[in-house]
Amino acid sequence: MNKWGYVGKRLLKTIPIIIGVTLVTFLILHLSPGDPVRIMLGPYATPETVAALRAQYGLDQPLPLQYFSWLGNIAQGDLGTSIRYNRPVTELVQARIGITLTLTLAGLVISVTLGSILGILAALKQNSWLDYLCTFQAMFWISIPGFWLAILLLYIFGLQLRWVPIAGLSGFASVILPALTIGLQEEAWFARPMRAEMLGVLNEGYIKAARAKGVRYYRVVGKHALRNVMVPMITMLALRLPWVIAGSVVVEVVFAWGGMGSLLVNSVLARDYPVVQGILLIIALSVVLANLLADLVYSLIDPRIRVEGGKK
Amino acid sequence: MRIEDLQVAFSTEEGPVEALDGVELTIHQGTFHGLIGETGCGKSVTGQTIMGLLDNNARIKKGRIMYREQDLLKLSSRQMERQIRGNEIAMIFQDPGSSLNPLFTIKNQIEEAIKMYRPVPRERREGLILEALQQVKLPDARNLMHRYPHQLSGGMKQRVMIAMMLACNPRLLIADEPTTALDVSIQAQFIKVLKDLKDNLDLTILYITHDLAVISELCDYVSVMYAGRIVENLSMYDLFRDPCHPYTEKLVNSVLGVSTRLDQLEEIPGSVPRLINPPPGCRFHPRCSEVLPVCSQEVPLLKEVKGLHSVACHRR
Ligand SMILES: Nc1ncnc2c1ncn2[C@@H]1O[C@H](COP(=O)(O)OP(=O)(O)OP(=O)(O)O)[C@@H](O)[C@H]1O
Ligand code: SF4
Ligand SMILES: [Mg+2]
Repeated sequence: MNKWGYVGKRLLKTIPIIIGVTLVTFLILHLSPGDPVRIMLGPYATPETVAALRAQYGLDQPLPLQYFSWLGNIAQGDLGTSIRYNRPVTELVQARIGITLTLTLAGLVISVTLGSILGILAALKQNSWLDYLCTFQAMFWISIPGFWLAILLLYIFGLQLRWVPIAGLSGFASVILPALTIGLQEEAWFARPMRAEMLGVLNEGYIKAARAKGVRYYRVVGKHALRNVMVPMITMLALRLPWVIAGSVVVEVVFAWGGMGSLLVNSVLARDYPVVQGILLIIALSVVLANLLADLVYSLIDPRIRVEGGKK
Repeated sequence: MRIEDLQVAFSTEEGPVEALDGVELTIHQGTFHGLIGETGCGKSVTGQTIMGLLDNNARIKKGRIMYREQDLLKLSSRQMERQIRGNEIAMIFQDPGSSLNPLFTIKNQIEEAIKMYRPVPRERREGLILEALQQVKLPDARNLMHRYPHQLSGGMKQRVMIAMMLACNPRLLIADEPTTALDVSIQAQFIKVLKDLKDNLDLTILYITHDLAVISELCDYVSVMYAGRIVENLSMYDLFRDPCHPYTEKLVNSVLGVSTRLDQLEEIPGSVPRLINPPPGCRFHPRCSEVLPVCSQEVPLLKEVKGLHSVACHRR
């Protein structure tokens, strides 16, 4: 049917994007200064040792060749071997990805829920104290740096009130503060557009028409208006995903969680190419995937997108 | 329904717009009542005030809207929602294109109206939806109801809107220019549909339009509006036989001439006054050919001519 044609087209479009993503991930690292082999061996290594190690990791080959062999390995699920840990990257990532995923998802759930509710309330009570309060708190969370907010929350709820564990991972309670840090920081990005979109939609003729039928106002908002703001809000969600992941990298380090974030930071410092590449690739691909999902969800929500076969 | 001395103002960046300034209007049950006037004179605002669905920047300064022994303006928004809108009074808005939610099927949107006022089992609802669509002579209703608004033409959307509002089963239907998006042949068909409804249902309609020709075919009574005021209330019979207000006279004469649409009317010199700073006294005086000195000083009040015929003019 029409719907599947759209899905197929959209899938085809992601292929060049994925190729681009792998190319950029590869080049960023190989063109940046700093030699991992020298860092590993220290300043007193002989040129022979350096050359030998370089050959072992395939770093002496021309760039295009390195790229294609890397790509070939990825296709087989092999992200290479960490220079520093001397273990497969997939193994390192597997051990940590759950932590990062939990944090990112928990942060997203908090920010989207909180942001949507505040945005809708602000729109319904436009120019009231509630509306101003909503604007103010959004600006507040956006303006303070993530690591600082993390430390502040830690200090208040961990050290002073002792409601939650201070660091490390121990069950549900330890997820609260890190997730809240991300949630609060990101919430503003959903509350503001939600308010604006809602105000626009509430002015539409179909809202008045639905009310003229006698449909209760809360139902008009919950059904007619909400569904119409969902398309732009899902766009926002897909747009913010990379930032949420970046935020979780910072938060993870502050809370001393051994997730992908800490692994990434340490690997960058150590010039551990394969690990950095692997993680960047995973993040980039998850963003591409999220955008693909978002597009498919639009077409479920908005019948006009299915027909035109493209975005509005 | 009786509207008494209704005043509505909008606050805008340029200052207050006195959109309605003492509207007096009585709609008798079971009749079709036309509301006619040039663009911007406040016809739609009148309808929206009755529905309690004015824009946020509007303020009702004064007046009463008496409907079945109660003042609609005194009801809470909750009471309007539960007791009045939909099952007592429904409205077809001027712009049919934007009045349907693009994300829901026609069926879904009509069903919403039926669910609320007619407690019938789910299986019978589909029959009622079909009936509603066939009532407005939409072809192939069985397929049509599964479509989305963007798949319909403007005229079809307008008819869906009418079907949707009729499905609420209201006593009073406010129809704000329901035929503007229809071509002439469909318009004629549509007027026939409304006439049938009039004979079969106990329906009262407030029919808002520019188009005297449509009103003359459909309505029993007419109110002529000019710049936020009703200048004349009269029966259809009197409209062509015995119009009293100079503005009504001009209207009728222009229709008997070539042009039948008020928006193409050139016979009346001058232009519609802006409501942000309206002329004092009789708002028609800058364009009136029979103007008296008092006309720019005092607002003429509606006076009874005979029976249900009343006019607001210093000359009569
Ligand atoms: N939300 C609003 N804010 C400010 N002014 C408004 C608003 N709505 C209507 N008006 C003004 O009120 C006046 C009456 O508008 P209304 O829509 O009732 O005219 P109308 O008689 O229905 O005209 P038309 O035949 O073009 O539909 C106009 O001058 C318009 O500019
Ligand atoms: S009141 Fe005066 S200006 Fe107004 S219509 Fe009558 S004669 Fe004309
Ligand atoms: Mg209008």
